[in-house]
Amino acid sequence: MDDLQFRRSILADPKSRDDATNAAINNDPAKQKFANEIDALNNEISKAVNVSVPDDLANKLILRQTLASHQQHKSKKRVRLAMAASVAFVMGLTINFMMFSNTYKNLGDYAIAHVNHEAKHFSNDATASVSLASLNEKMALFHGSFDSTLGKLLFADYCRFSGSNSLHLVFQGESSPVNIFILPSDEDMEFIANFANEKLQGNSLNFNQSNIIVVGDKNEPIQQWQERVNKNITWSI
Amino acid sequence: MATKQVRYEALVKALHADLYRYGYWLCHDKHIAEDLVQETFLRAWRALDSLKDEKAAKSWLITILRRENARRFERKRFEMSEYEEATITDVMATSSEQDIENHWLRDKIAKLPEEYREPLVLQVIGGFSGEEIASMLSLNKNTVMTRLFRARNQLKEAVDNEPTLRGLQNG
Repeated sequence: MDDLQFRRSILADPKSRDDATNAAINNDPAKQKFANEIDALNNEISKAVNVSVPDDLANKLILRQTLASHQQHKSKKRVRLAMAASVAFVMGLTINFMMFSNTYKNLGDYAIAHVNHEAKHFSNDATASVSLASLNEKMALFHGSFDSTLGKLLFADYCRFSGSNSLHLVFQGESSPVNIFILPSDEDMEFIANFANEKLQGNSLNFNQSNIIVVGDKNEPIQQWQERVNKNITWSI
Repeated sequence: MATKQVRYEALVKALHADLYRYGYWLCHDKHIAEDLVQETFLRAWRALDSLKDEKAAKSWLITILRRENARRFERKRFEMSEYEEATITDVMATSSEQDIENHWLRDKIAKLPEEYREPLVLQVIGGFSGEEIASMLSLNKNTVMTRLFRARNQLKEAVDNEPTLRGLQNG
């Protein structure tokens, strides 16, 4: 190992000496002296390079990270809250849409469904009856009144008819109750004059402000009922 | 979350001093060095999951710090003359004889050309091998060894040539 190579190796990295360098040191006192000098210098350099570190630096670093990640956490929380709110909002809309949207295409379908749904509550032989006065009281909402009760009126009350308020009248019929619905004509369902299914049939009449729908079973003279309604009803506007 | 926090705190405690010293020798300013270390650890926190090998943590952090330092110059390009560097390092508090000697040597280290000083600091503070320094600085190993040799050689010459001044300061 020549002197230059030895010096280069010692100066470049005093701490890691390979076998050749060690051998050179052991065989040559001058080289040993040089190596010791550089070791001493290197110690000095280490001391000089190790500048003092601010005492609280580690704590500052931890503090700053904690604050930063707290902020991050907070904004994440906010995002999560916003997402939950959106989901709730969409669910609300969906439920609203499902509950109040029209599942029936026209008035007739809805009227039949309504009658079928409530059929078990009304019996043709029921003894209850509603007076003309209380009927007309209820009719006031639709700005109309009846001159007579058209037959034996078993039941008269407001019903939700496809999302709008309607008056549901149940009369005693030939074999089963006859249902008459009075509802505002600003209905977004398609108007249908005549409709029927296997058991029931019905007619709709369109007045200025209201539709009157008559639903009864196939034995019932629906046409007659309709005429009776037509004759007896008086619209106040 | 908790384990990440624990890892982070361990990392800070183990390496902040070396990182601060390295930063100090890069920019010669205590406050900038502190800012650099803060930025570095903040970035390290965000990317902590990508650090798989804890042994590589030191060189990983040093790489982040070097990039932060380079970014500092992209943001705001201000000139630092050799003269300023020397005066800034002069501010070090000196209390004992040992410190005075260190101070003198510190001055010499600060006056080394940047490309010699950086590998030297990495080797002395970081304890990195020639290969590791070469990969961190994107140089080849022979270049690094040559620079390390020149850095120490210059310091040795400085020590040999200025015994009177040192004596004066020590006295």
